[in-house]
Amino acid sequence: MRRVLILAVLVGVGAPVWLSMGSTSGKDVAKAASSSSVTISNEQGTTWTCAFSPFNGDVNFLSFGTVYEELAFVNPLKSGATTPWLASSYKWANGNKKLTFTIRSGVKWSDGKPFSAADVLYTFKLMKAHPGLDLNAAWSVLKSVTRSGNKVSFTFKTSAVPYFFYIADQTPIVPQHIWTKIKNPVTYKDSHPVGTGPYTMSSCSPQVIKYTKNSGYWQKGMPKIDTVYYPAFTSNDPANQQLASGKAQWGSQFIPNIKAYYLSKSSDNHIWFPPVNNVSIFINLKDPILKNVAVRKALAYAIDRSRVAKIGEYGYEPASNQTGIVTPTFNNWLDKGLAKKITYNPAKAISTLQKAGFKKSGGVFHTPSGKALSFRMINIGGYSDWVASAQAIQQQLAAVGIKITPENLSSTMCDADNYNGKFQLSYNGNETPGPAPYYELREILYSKNGAPIGKTASSNWERYSNPQTDALINQYSATTSVAKQHAIIKKLEAVMVNTVPVIPITEGVDWYQYNTKNISGWVTQGKPYARPAAYETPDWGVVLLHLKPKG
Amino acid sequence: MRFVARRLGFFLLTLWAAVTLNFLIPRLMPGNAALAMMSRYKGRVNPQAIHALEIAFGIHTHQSLVGAYFTYLGDIARGHFGISLTFFPDAVSHQVLQALPWTLALVGTTTILAFVLGTFIGLISAWRRGGMLDGALPPIFVITSAFPYFWLALLAIWLFAIKLGWFPESGGYDVTTTVGWSWAFVEDAIRHSILPAATILITSIGGWILTMRNNAISVLAEDYVRMARAKGLKPWRIMWTYAGRNAILPNLTGFAMSLGFVVSGAILVEFVFNYPGVGWMFLQSVENQDYALMQALFLMITVAVLLAILAADGATAVLDPRTRDGA
Repeated sequence: MRRVLILAVLVGVGAPVWLSMGSTSGKDVAKAASSSSVTISNEQGTTWTCAFSPFNGDVNFLSFGTVYEELAFVNPLKSGATTPWLASSYKWANGNKKLTFTIRSGVKWSDGKPFSAADVLYTFKLMKAHPGLDLNAAWSVLKSVTRSGNKVSFTFKTSAVPYFFYIADQTPIVPQHIWTKIKNPVTYKDSHPVGTGPYTMSSCSPQVIKYTKNSGYWQKGMPKIDTVYYPAFTSNDPANQQLASGKAQWGSQFIPNIKAYYLSKSSDNHIWFPPVNNVSIFINLKDPILKNVAVRKALAYAIDRSRVAKIGEYGYEPASNQTGIVTPTFNNWLDKGLAKKITYNPAKAISTLQKAGFKKSGGVFHTPSGKALSFRMINIGGYSDWVASAQAIQQQLAAVGIKITPENLSSTMCDADNYNGKFQLSYNGNETPGPAPYYELREILYSKNGAPIGKTASSNWERYSNPQTDALINQYSATTSVAKQHAIIKKLEAVMVNTVPVIPITEGVDWYQYNTKNISGWVTQGKPYARPAAYETPDWGVVLLHLKPKG
Repeated sequence: MRFVARRLGFFLLTLWAAVTLNFLIPRLMPGNAALAMMSRYKGRVNPQAIHALEIAFGIHTHQSLVGAYFTYLGDIARGHFGISLTFFPDAVSHQVLQALPWTLALVGTTTILAFVLGTFIGLISAWRRGGMLDGALPPIFVITSAFPYFWLALLAIWLFAIKLGWFPESGGYDVTTTVGWSWAFVEDAIRHSILPAATILITSIGGWILTMRNNAISVLAEDYVRMARAKGLKPWRIMWTYAGRNAILPNLTGFAMSLGFVVSGAILVEFVFNYPGVGWMFLQSVENQDYALMQALFLMITVAVLLAILAADGATAVLDPRTRDGA
């Protein structure tokens, strides 16, 4: 009797618990995935919060691009080629200090209300009133935003051509009639987002988000894919398995040994990893030994970048060059002569140090005052590829007589040390890419992105500061002339090569796997119409609009 | 009555100590929530926005430790656990309540099953020691218990999910299923839980078998068992009410503890199977210095373990009169 009773209790406890799972009330059970659905496999290391606020840096990649849209789409893989989106056209005026958008008519919010220029104006006013929403610091350069009819004008404090990317492409436009009712937009969840985009969020649980096509979308006949499933993955292996088995068609993460694990599983499986930024060694310029440019140049000569790329990154991330220009993505910006000035040359590393008065003893170079060239290099221990790269660098530098001790820290600690300048060398690739080399170079070289040691520097972690370089960066902001922009970037490349404030080692890429069995229209190397990683905003919305079911 | 009062008093004292430690320990960790948040945003956010967010989060409220402690006690009493930074801007209680049912169903069921089956197998093997069952089951399960969970789970996925295709390889349910009260969903969820449940069961049952078998063997050598045999009682009655009832006593507290720890989830299971639950949430809260979430989870575990021990004390008192007062 007792055993039966225990089993009965088990069933009694188990059943209601099973039934109470999940968050949204279900109505229909979806039919088996048909050819007009796409499943994304993008390991984010988190379950879904079911928050969709496009101003929340943690979750905006789940709504910006599909549900919310931008004024104009800027393609970072094509040097910023611009496609009109919610704005049908734009114009710079008044010495590139005033930017005017003509807002598209005939666009509707997904709740049926009409979209207008008033919504655009409201969005930017909202960001001004709540700086916590202004993720790209648009209001640090904006003076005012005004509307007249279907035109919205942005007035900048100074010429701000590169800010077009942040205003037009990186700012999601939200509906005034909904967001005015929200008391605290910063902590607003936005569980049922209303946008102008090609999809609406139709159900969400911590495990999966389902997007359904917006039948009233302003681009007639679009999108062609009815449903998008976005499951949450907390670890890499299950996410990779879904891609290998074909259950997910669009992948955006690192897969080790990808040939055997993914490509060999089906001839429909494809990959492309376009480079977008650099993984570099940041050199603390306040360090008494490292502030000597000869030491920095010796480091740059002594590292075999292509070998590091092969050992650390399986060759998926190509080697960088000292100019900081990401190739082949920004090939037409590259000054090939400058790039050749610093390449792998251990003999030159040694002679550079000798010329500067350094002497070798016990296999390690010493300063004239007798200090060994021995440095700590911080790194994120959780990134196994970076750890392997750091080891390769350590060996190569040891060969010329420079000692490196890699320190693998947690990402939080590593970031904190970067921000505060508490490092000698730092291996890092967390700079944010943009649609031109300017964006990364500005992050690295602009003195306003730096700070004294102990204070938070946003991206100029090596603490480089030079008024002439700052002036160059400001000049770039003032010109829309492509020729002038190229000339300025070449001068910045020269700064990178001649003063070596950072050493770009490998190129950071967009991880991208796709399956062509039932779906066509994917981003390819031949047709790079948007950044292909599913975590890129608003690019993933553009990718989804290009996808079509086959047959 | 005194027994109950003493137990309850002890329970309240431990609860207070646990609640206080729960407040202090996270604050002794290095780093701070603002930095953790910045690295989570991966440089996609400008420092001014971060500063504004910090204010919204309440990270830089300059409240004294003592003041914060009393606010914390008050909030707990009212069941307010605050806003999670990991799942910003969602409330901690909402996040925990979403994950908890999965953990309770999977880990709870398997813990109870492992205990019941393990005790049963242990008792039978002790009763028929040297027999077929005794020769086979305990050694097998002791060996499987020694397997690293990770390895066993990956092996199970490879064999049953990828090679044979009998079960899905990951997740709590299929992405195309709509979550809800439908039979299709429940069936799908159960199908997804079989592999994780089986692997937990296989790796955890050995301990129960071994301890139950050892307890039962020593109990079977007691005089009262011989007496019962001499009286001519039926063997099953001796096995259950004489040997079983006494042999299970030491295991009961252990079982109560593991029941309490059910709510801490099974982090390896959740990792390997990408299964929803509390364990992974725990890890995230620690990594992101999410005090609110961390405290709620720690508190939940402490209270669950304390309650389970209280219940086990009660059960022992019922089963074993010697533990009661004045006996």
